[in-house]
Amino acid sequence: MIKRFKDFFNKYFKNLFGKKKEVKIGLYGPPNGGKTTLANRICEDWLGEQLGNVSSVAHETREVQIKEKVVIKSGNKQITFSLVDTPGIATKIDYEEFVKEGMKEKEAKNRAKEATKGVIDAIKWLDDMETVVVVLDATKDPYSQVNITIMGNLEARNIPVLVVANKVDLKKADLKKIESAFPKYDIVGISAKYGKNVDKFYEKLIEVAGK
Amino acid sequence: MPHQCVKCGALYGDASEAIIKGCKDCESKLFFYVKQDYLDKAKERTSNLTKVEKNQIEKDVYDIIGDEIDKDIPVVLDIESINIIKPGKYELDLVNLFKKKQPLIYKLEDGKYVVDIMESFSKFSKK
Repeated sequence: MIKRFKDFFNKYFKNLFGKKKEVKIGLYGPPNGGKTTLANRICEDWLGEQLGNVSSVAHETREVQIKEKVVIKSGNKQITFSLVDTPGIATKIDYEEFVKEGMKEKEAKNRAKEATKGVIDAIKWLDDMETVVVVLDATKDPYSQVNITIMGNLEARNIPVLVVANKVDLKKADLKKIESAFPKYDIVGISAKYGKNVDKFYEKLIEVAGK
Repeated sequence: MPHQCVKCGALYGDASEAIIKGCKDCESKLFFYVKQDYLDKAKERTSNLTKVEKNQIEKDVYDIIGDEIDKDIPVVLDIESINIIKPGKYELDLVNLFKKKQPLIYKLEDGKYVVDIMESFSKFSKK
């Protein structure tokens, strides 16, 4: 009850003085879908700088990263937001997978620990998000437990969602499969790495976040 | 419902003094909360681990839950949300993690304090 009262007052006063917090847009999805590559693409296109490191080894991003005051434009519309790049969400994190990629055991175990913490942090941050971009690897089966759980929770929280089917430059990419897995959502196929179709992505993002 | 010491695997009942004061065997203050159905799994978990691995798990768990947790305060973790099979091998129950009703750390009935990990996580991540 007290919380509700507080929320009401916060909202009222923020509106009154026009101090509404900047909209937060979060990038969510399984590991190695290309969230950071997309975050870097957005930051490079609109701010001229990168946000984070990318790697072919899963769980490269293990801490939530934020870039404030990102302004994107499409046609005569524009939106200002904080871009929140989150660690990949997984159900199983095994250091042996990293060892297979050439990492030393100690480093791999540490990466697994940090990745586990990263998953918890990513989930915690979800409450702060006004719009979520779910970044999926279009070459992978979309019907995974991780994807279904993320989508279900976003729906339950009424957070506007834009689904990005990334890596469409690759032969194995199957945009139709992603469209049929999540028919209720706006889906845009892009290559974050090569910038393919990102204009369409910006247009859709403004549309979804502005709803 | 039993609680299992993260470090040595000893099991304690709900009202056990050990959960407030620390494990009777190894004095660790970190416990997994174990549902009755998972008891066998929990017993199996620790029987296969070496002492070095158990110590590492305890250290890792403290790292995961964050620096602001006072190590002198007993902490009970929900084993169903995060299952540590051995150091570096984690199984995460996303459905439970997404549920707000299922905190990672439970209120200690006889304790004089409540450790709300969700609150600590938000403080930590919003710095």
